[in-house]
Amino acid sequence: MAETQTATSRSPGNGKTAARTRRRWPTSLVLGVILVGLVVGVALLSFFWTPYNPTAINVRARLSPPGTPGYPFGTDRVGRDLVTQLMVGARNSLYVSIVATFVSIIIGTAIGLFTAAAAPRWQSIVTRAVDVGVAIPGIIVALVIATALQPGNTASIVAIIIWFIPVAARVAIGPAKQVLTLDFVEAAYAYGRGKMFILFNHVLPNISSIVIVQASVMFAIGILAEAALSFIGIGAQPPTASWGRLLKEAQSLIDVSPSMMVFPGVAIMVAVLGFNLLGDGLRSYLDPRQVFRQGDA
Amino acid sequence: MNSRTLALISREALTLLVSAIIGSLVVFGLLRMLGGDVALMILGQEAAPEAAEALREELGLNRPWYVQYFAWIGGFLTGDLGRSYSGGYDIFEQIVVRFGPTSLLAFGSLFVSIAIAIVVGTYSALHNKDWTGAAVDVAAQLGIAIPNFWAGLMLVYVFAVLLGWFPAGGYVPLLQDPGGSLHSLVLPIVALSLSSAAVKTRFVRSAMLDVMDEDYIKTAMAKGRTFRSAVITHGLRNASIPVLTISALQLGSLLAGALVIENVFVIPGLGRLLLVAVNGREVMVVQSVAFVILMIILVMNFVMDVAYGLLDPRIADKKAAGHG
Repeated sequence: MAETQTATSRSPGNGKTAARTRRRWPTSLVLGVILVGLVVGVALLSFFWTPYNPTAINVRARLSPPGTPGYPFGTDRVGRDLVTQLMVGARNSLYVSIVATFVSIIIGTAIGLFTAAAAPRWQSIVTRAVDVGVAIPGIIVALVIATALQPGNTASIVAIIIWFIPVAARVAIGPAKQVLTLDFVEAAYAYGRGKMFILFNHVLPNISSIVIVQASVMFAIGILAEAALSFIGIGAQPPTASWGRLLKEAQSLIDVSPSMMVFPGVAIMVAVLGFNLLGDGLRSYLDPRQVFRQGDA
Repeated sequence: MNSRTLALISREALTLLVSAIIGSLVVFGLLRMLGGDVALMILGQEAAPEAAEALREELGLNRPWYVQYFAWIGGFLTGDLGRSYSGGYDIFEQIVVRFGPTSLLAFGSLFVSIAIAIVVGTYSALHNKDWTGAAVDVAAQLGIAIPNFWAGLMLVYVFAVLLGWFPAGGYVPLLQDPGGSLHSLVLPIVALSLSSAAVKTRFVRSAMLDVMDEDYIKTAMAKGRTFRSAVITHGLRNASIPVLTISALQLGSLLAGALVIENVFVIPGLGRLLLVAVNGREVMVVQSVAFVILMIILVMNFVMDVAYGLLDPRIADKKAAGHG
């Protein structure tokens, strides 16, 4: 997450090679793109092809171990193919996480922009509210939402949105305020541009790299949140395939079929790792001041 | 206590109060704005109008919202939040009882993760600098990416199912049997502390590496200290502020994680209470537990902010200058 960025690279000679490698992709960006590409590719593929019908039940093959002919990862307690479940689960994880991230980034960034340009009194009120919002853990928001709505993907998405909006706003407020003090903003005012024009045409482009990096980290947190919510039973409901729900089902079969809980967990890890690395990589790639951190894994 | 300290504490206390009011209004309002009629949330949308009306009467839901809000806040002060609609238990009493296991998990993980971070971070800074840096970075990335509940499941499989060293779940109250209680908490605490330890290890390591080139290390060595002990004492002091800051920030996610981990290890804490209440649409229980957890986090932030102000007057002055 954001705090990891201050860990400094100590490899000697980094500064010397920085200029030469400026246009190269950092290792973390390459790895991130590969892992995210893998997860997105599998999710897209699941719309057109899966080894079996996602809801197909084959009781005779129930609880097959991995490596069973026809079922490379094995089957669950009613004989559903685990590869198929994982592929469709990728779709569900990405759907929840991406919808929630996009909506909250748009609303949160807008709040951040308007707050940065608002009168100091309003700034301090909004900042205080945003700080409280950031302090409320996402799971708590989700449990409150699930009480009001029915458990399901919608509850997950709404919960993650409400959780993320203050985070996105707080990330945007500081940089937006900084850009507003720059000379060219004053020049734009002098030229007769309105506040809205300046916010969206001058400030937004200048904080866009921060917003993009934040979005990438949020995709990762969104996937973790979706999995956790489905695991405790307030996210995706049967028959929707979800990595978290697969783990919930595997929990009760832990001594019978331990392999069932290995694969969904690895899938979550790969997806989260991918989006986190993508965020780290984009951070060093998009921000020239941080180019010296390229050596970081 | 001088006047500056007093001013600092009262300013932070005011912040705490305002945050608590905003937070309680958000929790209270969110449920009603999204869920609509609380009586229909509990009884289901197809409930008979008479039954809904009777329930509204019973729970005081026909009063204006602000009366309900203040009655709820007052309930925290008097220790009377009413009884659970479906469970029949005293809500305030249950929250107090369930608070123990959850806070043991969260604070236990906080301390364990700090201990892991200090040991691993220090070791990796002092030995084999070439590859441990990469190893710590990779471990940190993996630590963040592994869901704590999955780590819990894997630990149960290896250490409870295969090896039988620890119980797979359940909870023994600390006062009843301290040894058995700690024994049953080892796996959940380890599962919960992995990702926060991974993040903090990077900070300890880089703080240690930062002090290595400083002149005061040479001075300490000239006075007869070994390089190792000089780096460890100065490095740990250097690392303490970032580690404490991150720990305060992590408390929220540790508490949230504890709520989930309780479901892996069947620990009767606030998470189990909350989940049963969510499924039973117990609005009063849900909003009360949510507010209690929020208050723990806000009070911790208050303590941290006061501590910073006292440790480093520059931070307090900067905040007083309107930084917020």
